Amino acid sequence: MMTDKTQVSPTPPVDQKRQTFAIVCGLAGWLVPGLGHALQKMWGRAIVFLVTVGALVLIGAGMRGNLFDSNGNDAFASLGYVADLGTGTFYLVAKYLEPNGADVSRAVGDYGTRFLAAAGVLNFLAALHAYEAARGRKA
Amino acid sequence: MNLQLSHLQSMLLFALVISVAFGFLSRRSPLDRVKYIAWSLLLFLLIGISIGWAMYPFSR
Repeated sequence: MMTDKTQVSPTPPVDQKRQTFAIVCGLAGWLVPGLGHALQKMWGRAIVFLVTVGALVLIGAGMRGNLFDSNGNDAFASLGYVADLGTGTFYLVAKYLEPNGADVSRAVGDYGTRFLAAAGVLNFLAALHAYEAARGRKA
Repeated sequence: MNLQLSHLQSMLLFALVISVAFGFLSRRSPLDRVKYIAWSLLLFLLIGISIGWAMYPFSR
């Protein structure tokens, strides 16, 4: 028999824990590529994201691509900075690997810029996936 | 570190790395992943080379 009573229960503590864990996974995945998945014992994905994002950063820095900073003069530079920041701590690795700065006077340098930006965007996607997986939405 | 890669080599590397990452991101079973990676890589290269040829007449 149906009743009109609607029961509004507070969010169970388990869900709150899960939400917190999901946020931790998302942040960890952003800071260190693959860590968000590693915390959930998704070892295959963790290794793949660490290797792929790492490879893109290494290749991009090796090609002396442009690593944008916060002093961008236009919208593209600001967007580039956001994309580069997506690599988390690997942003610092890329900076360390480019002691002489970028060289976009050659086509190779320009390709490197795209590699670095792609690494950041890919890691954003991976971190978002880790967050969603921890919430139980997809795996 | 100073990598000197050609346009084609860069594209191949980029397509491979992104295809592998997307395969692991969007598929669960190993067979589905392999299929997805192969298709994604093939389409990356096909579309990339097609766009390259489409731009060829304007490069001179």
